Amino acid sequence: MPPTTTTKKSTKKLADIDGELCGVCQACATVCPVNAIEVTESYLIVIPEKCTGCGVCVTVCPVGAITLIER
Amino acid sequence: MSNENRVIVVGAGPAGSSTAMGALRAGAAVTIIDRKTNVGIPVQCGEAIGKTGPGLAEINVPDESIRASVRGFRVYSPGQITVDYAEKEPSGYIVDRRVFDKELFARATEAGADSLLGARVLDITRSNGVVTGVIVRHDGRRNTLKAKVVIGADGVNSQIARLTGLRKSYKPADIDSCFAYEMANSELEVTDLMEFLLGNEVSPRGYIWIFPKGNGRANVGIGIGGTVKTKTAKEYLDHFLKHHDVAKRQLSQAKVIETRVGALPVCGPNKKNVVDGALLVGDSAGHVHPITGGGMGYAMVCGNIAGRVAAECIMKEQVSAKHLQKYEDEWRKIYGSEFEQSLKLRELILKTDDATLDKLAGIVTGESIVRMTAGKKVKIFMKAMATGDKHLIALMNELRKLRMV
Ligand SMILES: Cc1cc2nc3c(=O)[nH]c(=O)nc-3n(C[C@H](O)[C@H](O)[C@H](O)COP(=O)(O)OP(=O)(O)OC[C@H]3O[C@@H](n4cnc5c(N)ncnc54)[C@H](O)[C@@H]3O)c2cc1C
Ligand code: SF4
Ligand code: SF4
Repeated sequence: MPPTTTTKKSTKKLADIDGELCGVCQACATVCPVNAIEVTESYLIVIPEKCTGCGVCVTVCPVGAITLIER
Repeated sequence: MSNENRVIVVGAGPAGSSTAMGALRAGAAVTIIDRKTNVGIPVQCGEAIGKTGPGLAEINVPDESIRASVRGFRVYSPGQITVDYAEKEPSGYIVDRRVFDKELFARATEAGADSLLGARVLDITRSNGVVTGVIVRHDGRRNTLKAKVVIGADGVNSQIARLTGLRKSYKPADIDSCFAYEMANSELEVTDLMEFLLGNEVSPRGYIWIFPKGNGRANVGIGIGGTVKTKTAKEYLDHFLKHHDVAKRQLSQAKVIETRVGALPVCGPNKKNVVDGALLVGDSAGHVHPITGGGMGYAMVCGNIAGRVAAECIMKEQVSAKHLQKYEDEWRKIYGSEFEQSLKLRELILKTDDATLDKLAGIVTGESIVRMTAGKKVKIFMKAMATGDKHLIALMNELRKLRMV
């Protein structure tokens, strides 16, 4: 498919945490530069308004529970 | 709850409970806050704690949490050459953190601390720049709690550290990404040494640990550098368990009874841990050994100091950073040089390739390295020089600068 020049493809990504894999170790939250990951008693919340989609959190997750998704 | 002479301790881990004890003994009122409703769970630890290091004689490891005693450690070089460091008498314990944390917390409560569980700290309050309390979410509501000193004992992802500006987010290189199993039916070759495995293949920028927990139980875990992208910590550990000789010999019959994840700060203490009206202890202060990843001992010893100093400052009605600085001075006196030395050693290990680590292990293996007398250091140094290997000689010269050989 030829690239379309008219549509501006959104590069905006968002961190998405698989709650079934996540063990709430907070590794992701400690490296998030904008404090976009909140930790409650037993799960994590990514705050979409804060997350810049930088992906720093993806690498440090010990179980690979984080992916970047399109907004 | 009056705020008269009150210390708020955020976090009911070993740092928080020890801080509470220190403050209570020195006469302050204490409230411990934790976002969890079950302290100590989930366990995110290898559960090893020393009993003979600096400061450790003063802390009380709860008897009921002790599962095994260890005399030291065995390191496997990348090429599986072993170096043992074994004292004659037990020098540490493997504990059950579930019992350990709960017991320390219970003792602090019994000694008079109030507690608020299931309460997450969202923010701090300030007056004229001085920290005066915390805002928590509890039972679905936001509450403000006031205190003379707020102590952040809220772990590696400390909100108090961020809110006070004492630490921003960690860089991935500053933390290790950890994954671990507790296993039953292990057949460990030594049950009184902790085992560590180094090497780029098994655990890049980190190590694998196998700790004996008594009765065939073992804690088997891995920490890899936060920048490692090749595989996740879990994938490295699973690969080790399936394919590595050391695992096949000792863990082929072992079964997983618990899964653990964790993050370890490995870049040493924060530059500063006090502001007007607040201070940091434990993981939130970066009090974790940059090589071993141990933090419980520091959390307890430094927590005790922090609690006492906070209480003393409150009694004198002087809670500015300048006065709380006494805490920094006291813990640095005990551990300052230990952290500095181990940070340098960590850098050195990270830049040494696997082949050179094997050569070093080849020279040291069989030596009793518990008491490194001057004579023994010279002997090991000379052996290395005699190899003529320039990488090994460079490493030895660096180690000599650190006064290790
Ligand atoms: C995989 C792994 C293995 C380890 N192995 C060892 C080992 O073998 N030996 C050793 O000595 N150390 C080990 N450590 C390090 C050790 O676990 C820590 O140093 C130790 O737990 C630090 O204690 P702490 O009290 O500072 O923090 P924590 O034990 O993390 O306690 C912090 C508490 O604060 C609470 N909290 C956090 N944020 C908030 C908030 N906003 N509001 C309210 N409460 C909050 C948490 O719920 C938690 O209860 C290991 C760490 C990991 C990750
Ligand atoms: S992608 Fe970046 S900004 Fe978003 S949660 Fe992860 S680390 Fe934070
Ligand atoms: S790093 Fe992974 S396992 Fe740890 S809290 Fe984040 S998503 Fe969960």
